Amino acid sequence: MPSYKLTYFNGRGRAEVSRLIFAAAGQKYEDVRYEFDQWPAHKAEMLLGQMPVLEVDGVKLPQSAAIARFLAKQFHLAGKDNFEQAKVDAAVDTIYDIYKTWAPSRFGEDPVKKEALSKKFFGEELPKQLQNLETLGKLYGNGGHFFVGNQLTWADLFFHTITETLLGINADCLNNFPWLKDNRAEVEKQPKIAEYLKNRPRTEL
Amino acid sequence: MPSYKLYYFNGRGRAEVARLIFAAAGEKYEDVRYERDQWPAHKAEMPLGQMPVLEVDGVKLPQSLSIARFLAKQFHLAGKDNFEQAQVDAVVDTIYDCLTKYVPIRFETDEAKKEELTKKFLAEELPKHLQNFETLGKLYGKGGHFFVGKQLTWADLLFFDVGAIILQVDSNAFNNHAWLKQNRAEVEKQPKIAEYLKNRPQTQF
Repeated sequence: MPSYKLTYFNGRGRAEVSRLIFAAAGQKYEDVRYEFDQWPAHKAEMLLGQMPVLEVDGVKLPQSAAIARFLAKQFHLAGKDNFEQAKVDAAVDTIYDIYKTWAPSRFGEDPVKKEALSKKFFGEELPKQLQNLETLGKLYGNGGHFFVGNQLTWADLFFHTITETLLGINADCLNNFPWLKDNRAEVEKQPKIAEYLKNRPRTEL
Repeated sequence: MPSYKLYYFNGRGRAEVARLIFAAAGEKYEDVRYERDQWPAHKAEMPLGQMPVLEVDGVKLPQSLSIARFLAKQFHLAGKDNFEQAQVDAVVDTIYDCLTKYVPIRFETDEAKKEELTKKFLAEELPKHLQNFETLGKLYGKGGHFFVGKQLTWADLLFFDVGAIILQVDSNAFNNHAWLKQNRAEVEKQPKIAEYLKNRPQTQF
């Protein structure tokens, strides 16, 4: 059994999907969290000067999506064959496109510009992207509630954590997408996930 | 043996890494290329209204990196076990981070602004990315010329493709990065790749 150490900021951000995967799998790991003021002292220890980093038996792996996909494959949450894994990857990429569109409205410097971007995101761009996601869920989901193949995969976990933040800003943003709301509800019903969600640290991001 | 059909514009762009994987593997596929004026008629056929799309025995898969990863795994160009595949994925993501920074500059329409942004990218942004590529190649490459595990993987093919874009911007970009130059040379030397490069359509992008 390999030893796992995950290093990130004290927040959900780009590491939470991996924490959800560990939780769903019931797998132990060291969950290292740095506050923002601790980070400069550790930056040089990280492979590309960035986090998250996963250490597997002492070997470092950067890049949040690569980390999550590796863990999902280790714990059979990635799809049951190569083509299913590809469908899961495509759903993940499509979810990630949502995050990338949203990010400038939250992480820019000009508050007036950010407000305008946020209006555009929630009003125009997000509905189109959510429509795309529902299309994939219906195409690959075999009639079930999960994105791919009638079982929980890391695509469902990733959707849950990305939308957690969006719902915190705009609680109604999924109202026109019942399939996606059901998908989140299914994730939250999983016993190990429910337990994890109840106990995890509360952070804004 | 599944049937493969790849849909994209008539250009390299986001589909070329998949074409390089097919070429390296010596695998046949239908290489569908739409000119810009043909695309609107086909847009609704694609799951997310975007290309590239890979059709495998009639089932469509969007998202360029998911397509490439699937093909690489089909043809044993993805890394030999789960952790090696994760290392390959991490290299791919790191290459893609560099491309993502450059793409908006490439598409800047104001020529004076584009020149200024390009200068800034070459002086401040690119060196960090090239350093990151070498860091990963030396960590995962086991002393060889390929990014991971001493054999050709789709990470090398992606770097070959993105490297060509970087060299178009600055033909001296790799002068201080012998390892990266050598890596691209190794890819070009592979007989099936050499053959493919000689014969592929010459396109603007």
